[in-house]
Amino acid sequence: MIGVELVKLVLRPRTWVVLGMLVALPTLVAVLLAVTDVAPGPGEGPPFLSAVLTDGTLFPLAALGVVLPLFLPIAVAVLGGDAVAGEVQSGTLRYLLVRPVGRLRLLVAKLVTVVVFVVLAVLVVAAVAAVEGRLLLGTAPATGTVSLSGSTLTPQQLAWRTALALAYMVVCMLGVAAVALFLSTLTSSSVGAALGTVGLLIASTVLLGLDAASALHPYLPTRYWLAFVDLFRDPILWDDVVRGLLVQLGYLVVFGLAAWANFSTSDVDG
Amino acid sequence: MTPVRWRWFVVLGAAVLLVALPAAVQHRPGGGPPTRPTADVLARIQASADVGWSGRAQSTGTLQLPSSDSFATLGTLLGEQVELRAWWRGEDSWRVDRVRSTGETDTFRDGRGQVRWVFESERATYSPVSTIRLPDAVDVLPPSLGRDLFQGAQVDEVAFLQGRRIAGVDAVGFVLRPSDPASTVGRVEAWFEPTTWLPLRVDLYGRGGTTPVLSTTLTELDLRPPAVSAVRFDPPASVALAYEESTDVAAAANGLELADLPSSVAGLPTRDGRDPGAVGVYGRGPTTMIVFPLRGSVARPLREQLERNAGTTQTSAGTLAPVGPISVLLTRLPGRGGGFLLAGTVTPETLTAAAAQLQERA
Repeated sequence: MIGVELVKLVLRPRTWVVLGMLVALPTLVAVLLAVTDVAPGPGEGPPFLSAVLTDGTLFPLAALGVVLPLFLPIAVAVLGGDAVAGEVQSGTLRYLLVRPVGRLRLLVAKLVTVVVFVVLAVLVVAAVAAVEGRLLLGTAPATGTVSLSGSTLTPQQLAWRTALALAYMVVCMLGVAAVALFLSTLTSSSVGAALGTVGLLIASTVLLGLDAASALHPYLPTRYWLAFVDLFRDPILWDDVVRGLLVQLGYLVVFGLAAWANFSTSDVDG
Repeated sequence: MTPVRWRWFVVLGAAVLLVALPAAVQHRPGGGPPTRPTADVLARIQASADVGWSGRAQSTGTLQLPSSDSFATLGTLLGEQVELRAWWRGEDSWRVDRVRSTGETDTFRDGRGQVRWVFESERATYSPVSTIRLPDAVDVLPPSLGRDLFQGAQVDEVAFLQGRRIAGVDAVGFVLRPSDPASTVGRVEAWFEPTTWLPLRVDLYGRGGTTPVLSTTLTELDLRPPAVSAVRFDPPASVALAYEESTDVAAAANGLELADLPSSVAGLPTRDGRDPGAVGVYGRGPTTMIVFPLRGSVARPLREQLERNAGTTQTSAGTLAPVGPISVLLTRLPGRGGGFLLAGTVTPETLTAAAAQLQERA
């Protein structure tokens, strides 16, 4: 079942169009930085963007910092929202379930497919940005990359911290995928499920800027997304990374269970 | 129970558990035992500067200071939420990081010098430590701010406050109500680690205020003294260490000795009891005023900024702007637009009296 869904993911032109769009924005940013040589000041712009003019090896992280707050979650919301609702819309869900396939297995296969897409998207953006950083932006100092705290990171340290950051970003999208999957089981409209997910993320971002909602902040799905930056401090600041993992696992459990509870007993029209 | 319902009960149970568990852990009852503030306790609060610790802090200020390049850091510290990370070995050996999602600004203090590292501009700057300087990130750490505000506190000004659990510690609470009529601070609520008397949380209220104008709390605390290597800055080979004569405009003014200030102004003696140079810090604890001369190039834009503030008035002493419990007065000296800047948690009347005394002396 998972294999079938993965093949569908790879063969769909939509997958590659979305990946292309995810790569386009960081590419534009790299070109603009290279042409103008103007980087954001302290406290401004996405993470690491101010440093890439002197060290292009950080551009994969800057590129992911550019797409993480909006573009990547929208892509995940579109794919997750389409997971079940898309099958209903196209009338294929009934035939899928006629085969000896449990509904839980189908849901798990859909979720795994979205996660595989996220892994693919993160790797593609990072790889393209690495090439762009090398070709268009500054080369890393021979002595090593400078951490946020002013210490020097060896290429090995930079590599494993980058790998951790990429893995963290994938985990950050788990909650989005679970919410989109749940909404996809509620409606026969893929667009509706995707918009509902994006709406939740926008609400989360708005509440994060509101002091009156500070009691809610630790539970908001977008609260710890940028904590991957903490992996590049010295010593590494693990607290928010760990909290971010727990929050995403919480969303995965609750909305995954909700998707299962709803989909297991709902009537299949499509 | 129908199959539909039990599945949704599982979902509900998981959601409630995941929300309630962290909330219960965070808000579990705690707090140190009722403790009477004594002179010995107040002395031990001041002595806690020698206690080694490391941890994280969050400071939230609501004061909108006039924006000025010379006071940019101060505006951020007193008007925004700031995330801090600190390693403290003693007053002359510490590291404080102001953490941002885009980078960080770190200050490393080592004896008589300090290095400031700003990631985004990849700039490391060494400067000698000045005894007179503007407040910086280190000063809004709860231990530093708590000691500063309780400096010179009298036993009869301090009362017991309900304990709280802070950074995993059952903390003892005190409230300080300054008796100085010159003070604009209504009260200071603070909580302390009961064995070392290290301040863990400080809330500063203006007179009649119901919400703190500045609140700073440790969110994590390790009471083991950090290693020397934790507070030492080794500049990366690709970064040249720059040198600056002074850390800020107050330190610069003090070094230039443009004026010789009196040992007391408006009835407030210097905070450390010494005769001041060009910069004077007067008062005690929450009743504090800093006075220093500004050159015309710094004073003119600041005066323009102050004049844009809604509450600003022009008095015979100069441009007067109250910002919450902080009063700011910029006088005008004859010549190229320079003047004395007087600021602090004192009443506008106190500043005006101090300015008149300085004008007379000038």
